Amino acid sequence: MVTVLLVILGFFAGFLGALTGIGGGVLLTPILALHFGIPIRQAIGASLVAVITTSAASSSVHLQRHTTDIRLGMTLELATAFGAAVTAYLVGYFNRNALEGLFAGFLLYSAITILSKRGKVKPLEDESVLIVDETVIPPYEPKRYPLGLAASLVAGALSGLLGIGGGPIKVPVMYIFMNVPLMVATATSNFMIGVTAAASAIVYYRRGDILVQYAAPLAVGVFLGSLLGARMAPRIHTKVVVYLLVGVMFYLAGHLILHLLRGWL
Amino acid sequence: MSQVREPEFDRIVAWVLRIGAFGCFFIMLAGLIDGLFVHGHIPVDIERAGVLLMLATPVVRVIVACFLFFQEKDWKYGWISLGVLVILMLGLVFGIGEH
Repeated sequence: MVTVLLVILGFFAGFLGALTGIGGGVLLTPILALHFGIPIRQAIGASLVAVITTSAASSSVHLQRHTTDIRLGMTLELATAFGAAVTAYLVGYFNRNALEGLFAGFLLYSAITILSKRGKVKPLEDESVLIVDETVIPPYEPKRYPLGLAASLVAGALSGLLGIGGGPIKVPVMYIFMNVPLMVATATSNFMIGVTAAASAIVYYRRGDILVQYAAPLAVGVFLGSLLGARMAPRIHTKVVVYLLVGVMFYLAGHLILHLLRGWL
Repeated sequence: MSQVREPEFDRIVAWVLRIGAFGCFFIMLAGLIDGLFVHGHIPVDIERAGVLLMLATPVVRVIVACFLFFQEKDWKYGWISLGVLVILMLGLVFGIGEH
């Protein structure tokens, strides 16, 4: 029964993620921990496997459109993978409250990032969907590598601690500070997520924090959901979906904060 | 200029990821379906194989890219890819952290 619910949960997270361009990982860990009663480290482990699955599936599409900057991605992966491996190793020193607080903060940050674009996430991504064969990318030269590497280290560290992809950190940094076109920044962030999550997932797996009976149904659901979401994206009124996603994120953040307060009072 | 158009490079890396994602999806699905009929360790073992292949896919992707960069005599990015590979292997070589 839990298996079926996990497939359904993964399906919706993958579906929303593909529609809005925000990875579903940010929804998975808190829902698994709060509503399925799965211990937080096993929730993170299962979420990491799901995140790797979506990254592999979606970045293979981006790569075929030639919108991914593999060199830039590889360079920043030095930092994301290192950050992810280190925090995956150290996660045992963080107690549940610290992780939940950090997660609530990240959910609020991501929700506000989405809102500040007022649901414009999708139209910008659509460019790459519409122009399939000859995607026109203006020439660019990535700048400020030290800043990009520092931000990637933070994104990787959060990925290893929370079981997320970290797109809401990497995409704006590449786009605003590193002079990378948004389409390329999105594709490259997606590309990096698989390696980043794998760096921490290997540590989680060896520690026994990835239980296949949670991870497999979740990954299957996420895979199906993101395929369908990517296919239906042009036909769905995205603004409604974005507000739905933001609503879920605020709800989860609030739930986490209440959970924390209850522990202290 | 970092953005060099190499359709072939993109295509090879895309295939690695696609085979990994679809392969693991079907293996995990087979495990889940098997689990509906059979109880015991066989469905779990099939699911485990899918999960482990999924974890291996990004590692294979880095190895392939590393190989391609060295083949192109693009030493800088070849070494960067090798560095990423070493970091990925840290988790296998070193301890597993606090329980």
